[in-house]
Amino acid sequence: MRSRLLIFFLLILFALPFGLLGLLAVGEGWRFPDALPPAYSLEPLRGLVAADNDLLTGLGQSLLLAGAVAVLATAGGFVVARAVARSRRPGRWTALSYLPYALPPVLLAVLIQPFIIRMHLSGSVGGVLLGLLVVALPFATLLLSSFWTQRATEYEQLARTLGCTPRQALRRVLLPLAAPLLRTTLVQTFLLGWFDFGLTNVLSVGKVRTLTVQVFTYVGEANGPLAAVASLLLLLPPALLLLANKSALLRKP
Amino acid sequence: MKPLKPILPLYALLVIGLPLAGLGYALLGSVGVVGPLAEGFTGRYWQALAHDTGLLYAAAYSLWIAVASVGVSVGLALLLVLRAQPTLRRGPLPGLLYVPLVMPALVMAFYLFQLLSRAGWLSRLSSQLGLTGSIEAFPELVQDATGLGIIGAHVLLTFPFLTLLFQAIYQESRLAELGQLTSTLGASAGQFRRRVAAPVLLRRAAPTVLLSFIATLGAYDIPLLLGRPYPQMLSVFIATKLQRFDLRELPAAYLAGFLVAAGLLGLILVLLRVLKLKVKN
Repeated sequence: MRSRLLIFFLLILFALPFGLLGLLAVGEGWRFPDALPPAYSLEPLRGLVAADNDLLTGLGQSLLLAGAVAVLATAGGFVVARAVARSRRPGRWTALSYLPYALPPVLLAVLIQPFIIRMHLSGSVGGVLLGLLVVALPFATLLLSSFWTQRATEYEQLARTLGCTPRQALRRVLLPLAAPLLRTTLVQTFLLGWFDFGLTNVLSVGKVRTLTVQVFTYVGEANGPLAAVASLLLLLPPALLLLANKSALLRKP
Repeated sequence: MKPLKPILPLYALLVIGLPLAGLGYALLGSVGVVGPLAEGFTGRYWQALAHDTGLLYAAAYSLWIAVASVGVSVGLALLLVLRAQPTLRRGPLPGLLYVPLVMPALVMAFYLFQLLSRAGWLSRLSSQLGLTGSIEAFPELVQDATGLGIIGAHVLLTFPFLTLLFQAIYQESRLAELGQLTSTLGASAGQFRRRVAAPVLLRRAAPTVLLSFIATLGAYDIPLLLGRPYPQMLSVFIATKLQRFDLRELPAAYLAGFLVAAGLLGLILVLLRVLKLKVKN
């Protein structure tokens, strides 16, 4: 009985956000003290497919940024983790990789902003991408460092002894061995870019309008329905990833 | 794979060089050496710090939010793992705990604002049920002085993750078998939970709990939506100072950024040392 109550309570707790955001997205003229909207309309959702819709642009920019962060950080992290494992002092490199975690993303953005401006990247997708990579690359490196053990090196050497070129050893031996960890890293770094608001908000100076930036803008404009639609769009890719592979969401370096 | 020689220097330049250069720039900016209105070396922004209580209040407020949020989250996660073990092993509960992991902090803040504000859904329900007569009669649960809304949002995001982590440690450490052993030796279930299970879980999860604490201390998205203009949490305080139009305020903002970054780095070093000592003992 107690366990059923607990499950019921948590079900309400975690399902309510989706329900309330859904009602906000389709509710029309929903004012205090009405507990439910007096009318429903699919207008905010229909507006999504309009060519000049900001939300659609934001969705595209968020997907582009998070996708680029995931691919670059995972590929870079794979190479850097190997270099760290074969360096003279891997422990020191690992410790240094934690440095970007010590600083909140907003503070990191504030600190690197003068250099982003000097590189003429302020307010551009490239500037935001660079800022996100400062956090995502060490994250990927730390996650992938567990792959580069003595065993991986031995497999690589064995493949070379049996006649593989370095490229063949990478494609046919190392990448298949690392595939599960690479998938996890791709998911996690994608979410890192997808969820970010603070760093993007500071480095984009209002010009790169990702979905998180748009949620904040709509909240500021007291536009509840559009903020709710943008929030639901933000929940969609992580929810799909959760359905596909929930263990990939939990692993931490 | 060929060894790529310049990889590590390039990595160091991006991941360590850029933040450290930013820290150095902030320090130089705080003494008037760099920045758009730099007039040469001056110590007046550091001296003015003694009269400006804003940064100190922001630090104290952030500390309170982080301690309360992580404390409540750890407490709830421990309670679930130690008291609801059978429920956690089967049924829909483990799957349910993954749901908050897909929620961006900003969406959680927006949702809680819609739920808990004076014109929010709970206030509407209480009005319909006749519990409150007007908007003002509903208690202030967001944008309040104690940061209840901010703490609630952080707890909702952190406690499910910590529960999943504690549960994984519980199974890896074979605590169920240890429980049976302690029971054979005469210990009660409460003694096992207090003296064996909780210390094992807390010790092994300490680095992750520390990271959660640091992340909450520097939180931005949630306090930006659910916080008040005063007191502000550290990240909001610094970002607000930097985004003001008055360029004369920039050195003070750089000073705040430098002090907070240096303070957080120092705090992490101290906490890591304490953790290492505890693990050794």
